[in-house]
Amino acid sequence: MGKSPEKSSAVLLEKIKESLERLNEKMEVFIEIQKQERKQDFVVQDLPEALDVMTLLSLPDHLRKTAVTICKLGHATAEDVAEQTKRARAVESGYLNQLVLMGYLKKERRGRKAYFFVER
Amino acid sequence: MGKILAVHSYKGGTGKTLLTVNLAAAYANKGKKVCVLDLDFRAPSLQSIFRQEASEYWLNDYLNGACEINKVLFDYTPQCNCNGTMLVGLANPTTEALRDMSAKDRKWEMRALGRLLSLKNTLLNDMELDYLLFDTSPGLQYSSINAIVSADVVLVVSTIDASDVAGTRRMTHELYDLFEKKTGILMNKVPIEFLSSPADRADVHSRFQNTHTLPVLMVIPCFCDVLRAGGSKIFARDEPSHPFTRHVDEIAAKVEKF
Repeated sequence: MGKSPEKSSAVLLEKIKESLERLNEKMEVFIEIQKQERKQDFVVQDLPEALDVMTLLSLPDHLRKTAVTICKLGHATAEDVAEQTKRARAVESGYLNQLVLMGYLKKERRGRKAYFFVER
Repeated sequence: MGKILAVHSYKGGTGKTLLTVNLAAAYANKGKKVCVLDLDFRAPSLQSIFRQEASEYWLNDYLNGACEINKVLFDYTPQCNCNGTMLVGLANPTTEALRDMSAKDRKWEMRALGRLLSLKNTLLNDMELDYLLFDTSPGLQYSSINAIVSADVVLVVSTIDASDVAGTRRMTHELYDLFEKKTGILMNKVPIEFLSSPADRADVHSRFQNTHTLPVLMVIPCFCDVLRAGGSKIFARDEPSHPFTRHVDEIAAKVEKF
């Protein structure tokens, strides 16, 4: 027996939502890469080896807040970080992806969620 | 949920260790469960105060990942003569350990930060401690900044020395503010003649407060008795009615509400 039309459209909508979320995250990464390229002083080869406290001190204020929160939470999603910093999830997602690009954080996907962490 | 307090200063010799130990004793007297950790790996001193020169495991071992924190802590409650609980974790004072700690790289310091941050879970959540106090190295040392990042409240001890005051102001903008920590200043060893009347005390307090953007929690007079004891006494335990102990009790009460 086939699925009811309501169920099929619910599944379809869920799939569309999932794709949009993935697309949104990719766009955020893309925007960050463009921002970094515009600055021209970002050298990908010179990845720092550790997110230690001296590095935390040298980060701009908005990124430091995100980085310290990740240090405290361990593995966390942008939503978890946003809950602590009281900033919007999309803002934290952007900052977290920027920290990944800078080589300070790692990112892994578990199911539909993206987790960020410091590799110790 | 308990609180982590880091006691820090710009310069050495401001009275950090003495205030940390006495604050811990004051909380233990009130029936609280406290733990004091010596994070001054360049010049460990709690082993002299608690007269515990040998230990199987030190905080160095915990930060190295060689043992868990419960192996490092010893129970000082029987000697502290208090209603609560007092645990102590010591830094290894041997020259070899000091040399080893000064040669750590950034990656190690990053892992050490992770180990310190996880104490919130093990000591405050699992062991249900009320206060965890960090005694730190003065100035901008890795170990002290790690302690500050891990703490909920930072107490900065300063004397009236001009370079100390200027250094504390600098650290306010370049360290404490950047990590958005609740921070309070304790002005210590203030000459007693500056504080002879309530009006003088209020005047001195407001002068210090005008110098600092952070709240000045307490102005502590320089007590000859404390200097004379040379660290051999824990005033909050041995001299409960001494004016120094009263100042420490007042700081403890202010920090509770901070």
